[in-house]
Amino acid sequence: MDKAKINEIVINTLKNYCEENDILAEINKDTPLIGSARIMDSMGLVNNIVDIETAFLDEDVEISLTSEAAMSGRISPFRSVGALCNFIARQLGIEEE
Amino acid sequence: MGRIIIITGTRKGIGRYLAEQYLQEGDIVYGCSRRICDIEHPNYHHTRLDVSDEAEVVSFVRNVYKNHKHIDVLINNAGCASMNHFLLTPYDTAKKVFNTNFFGTFLMCREVAKYMVKNKSGRIVNYSTVAVALNLHGELVYSASKAAIEQLTRVLADEIGESGITVNAVGPTPIDTDLIKNVPDNKLQDLLSHQCIKRFGQFEDVKNVIDFFLKPESNFITAQTIYLGGVV
Repeated sequence: MDKAKINEIVINTLKNYCEENDILAEINKDTPLIGSARIMDSMGLVNNIVDIETAFLDEDVEISLTSEAAMSGRISPFRSVGALCNFIARQLGIEEE
Repeated sequence: MGRIIIITGTRKGIGRYLAEQYLQEGDIVYGCSRRICDIEHPNYHHTRLDVSDEAEVVSFVRNVYKNHKHIDVLINNAGCASMNHFLLTPYDTAKKVFNTNFFGTFLMCREVAKYMVKNKSGRIVNYSTVAVALNLHGELVYSASKAAIEQLTRVLADEIGESGITVNAVGPTPIDTDLIKNVPDNKLQDLLSHQCIKRFGQFEDVKNVIDFFLKPESNFITAQTIYLGGVV
C-alpha cells in the first residue's frame, strides 16, 4: 500500500457513492467532505466512512476512521479528500504528499 | 446457504443454546466469550474476547467480514448482573455491569452495523430484561444498563433503518441460568407474581422471539422490545 493506492481507493469510493446518489461533484484532493461547501449530507459521509474502511479491508489493510483522533481532532480529517487521504496515510505509517 | 450469525456469550446458558440450535438449522455461527468454549461443530468459530474491549471487538468483527464479506445477524446475548441495594452497590460493580451490558452491546452493534449498512441488510437483536419494566428493588444497576440498551435499540433502529437493517430487543423473564443463581427465592417468586403467565422462562421462549425478529417477513418490525411472560 502506497500513497497513490490510498488516493485511488478513497477517490474511487467517493466517486461510486456520488454516481449512485446522483451527486454531481468533481472529486479531487480539494473537495470538501464537511462544512458549507460539502458535497454530501452527514449520512452520506457516514456511509462513505464505512465504504472507505471496508474498501481498505478488502485489500487486507485495516484502518479506523471512527477513532477518537478522527472524530475529535481540532482539525478534522474530513475537511477535504486530500486531508482524509493524508490521515489514512499517517495511520498506515506512510509518508504524506 | 446458512446465515452468518454472530452471538456473544456462547460459552453457556442461552447463548450456547442459541448457537447450537442455529448450527443445527444450518447457519454459520461466530461465537465469543471471555473463557474457552467447547462447542464443536464445523460451522462454529469461537473467539475468546471481552465484549467491552474495543480493539478485540473490532478485530473479531473484521475477521468475520473478511471471511464472508457480509454479516446477516448479530445477537448481543453476553451480559452480567449484580443484585444489590443501591446504597450498597460498589462503583466498580456498576462500571463492570455497564461495561459488559451496555458498552459491549454498543461496540458490537457499531462494528457489525458498519458492514450491514454496506450490504444494505441485517438483523440485530439486543437483550433487555423484564426488570426494566418492573422497576425492581435491588436491580438498579442491572436494569439501568438494560434500559440503556433499549434506548440504544430504538435510536440505532432509526439511524440505520433506511439501510434495510432492523434492531430489536428481547426482554426475558428469569430463566434458570447462572445469571440468577444468587437471587433469593422469595425475590424470584415476587418477580413471577408480576407476570401474566407465572412461570420461569425457557431458552425456547427467548429463541422464539429472536426467530420472529429474524424472519424475512419481519423486515417491517424494528425498534421494538418484546418482554416475555406478559410483563408490560
